[in-house]
Amino acid sequence: MRDFLRKYRLQIIAGVLLLAAFVFYSLNLTNRGHANAFERGVQTVFSPIARVVAKVSGGLSGVWNDYINLVDVRRENKELRESVKKLNTRLLESTEAELANERLKKLLEMKTSLKLPAIAASVIGEDGAPWFKTILIDRGRADGLREGMAVVASEGVVGQIVKVAGNSSRVLLISDNASAVAVVVQRSRARGVVKGKGGGRCALEFAVHGEDIKVGDMVIASGIGGLFPKGLPVGEVTMVKKGEYGIFQTIDVRPAVNITRLEEVLVLVSQNDD
Amino acid sequence: MTRILKITAILTALLVAQVTLLPPRLLDPFKPDLLLIAVTYLALTGTVRFGGGVAFLLGLVLDCFSGQYLGLNGFSFLAIYLVLEAIADRLYTDNLYLLILVVFLVTVLNGMLHLILLVIFSVADGVYATLLPALLPQGLVNALSVSLLSGFLIMKGAEDEK
Repeated sequence: MRDFLRKYRLQIIAGVLLLAAFVFYSLNLTNRGHANAFERGVQTVFSPIARVVAKVSGGLSGVWNDYINLVDVRRENKELRESVKKLNTRLLESTEAELANERLKKLLEMKTSLKLPAIAASVIGEDGAPWFKTILIDRGRADGLREGMAVVASEGVVGQIVKVAGNSSRVLLISDNASAVAVVVQRSRARGVVKGKGGGRCALEFAVHGEDIKVGDMVIASGIGGLFPKGLPVGEVTMVKKGEYGIFQTIDVRPAVNITRLEEVLVLVSQNDD
Repeated sequence: MTRILKITAILTALLVAQVTLLPPRLLDPFKPDLLLIAVTYLALTGTVRFGGGVAFLLGLVLDCFSGQYLGLNGFSFLAIYLVLEAIADRLYTDNLYLLILVVFLVTVLNGMLHLILLVIFSVADGVYATLLPALLPQGLVNALSVSLLSGFLIMKGAEDEK
């Protein structure tokens, strides 16, 4: 026995290590919706660095772009003078439109019965692997954020918070394969679930064969589950395929939010701490 | 002690680059997995003691910024480290082309390990549809990254010698 152990010592150690790592992974599967102490610790240590680097990187990009802009500045100046004249006219029109918009917005606000508190956050990092779709934002438990809160942008649904650390959080985007949002098609009120397909794509699933869904239809949150407010844009139907057989249609949805260009988001702070 | 701090600083810089600096500038799936490259290098050269533990820890740290499954990269990095460490003495590890080839193969292996663990244990249906098409480009990007990095280091070494 001792000879056996001595002979295969390295293989046994490697096996035990792999088994331990595997057990660790499996134990953490049940708790994947919450950040544990290790994840919180790492995020807490890393987020200030990420914040500084993101800021410096943005600043450097700005300086570089400004330099490039200087190259054609004289020619551009002439063109700009011309366009200023045109824009002045438009400005008057748009000021009128803006005032009208403000009035309409106030009217709309009066009609809105549900008000949700929201916290603005900046994106300071993206997922390290191409097959997962998560982002890192600069708000965390200290700001009142909790796992499961909805994240939106001005265009619509972004995703939900999955891991919260002290001053940063990870957001699972709707385009991730593990993501699902209950939706309705705005025009026909057909119900379904928008699931992530990776690579910035989503699919509308469980839409039965007879439902009236067309390319260009807007897909909005149904409010079922209580995570996303009802009516929030989720995406637009880009492809509908009705096979001869099968119960459901195959529908592709383009997310309303351009996830690759996301810089600021709003976290809807729900009072439910579950 | 200085050496440990130096390695920690390099690994932190790689993590920052992978998570914060590169993603806004590169499109999916052409984002290099710099930590995987580091694990490959450490395994082939045997630079650090308890390399398996370091690989596992690096995987866990990456898991804190990737996906939502803590331990996924931890397991795959450890497995890759152990395999490479076992065969490193039979390879001519000073050869740059070998490192590039190994990084490419390791990226594919890492992706396959992820795929197996995700398909069997997670609820992320259809992850294969995202993962499989991304494997080859990621392998090539990682190989390109390692060749650029090595080229830079070789040039720097030659300048230092002059």
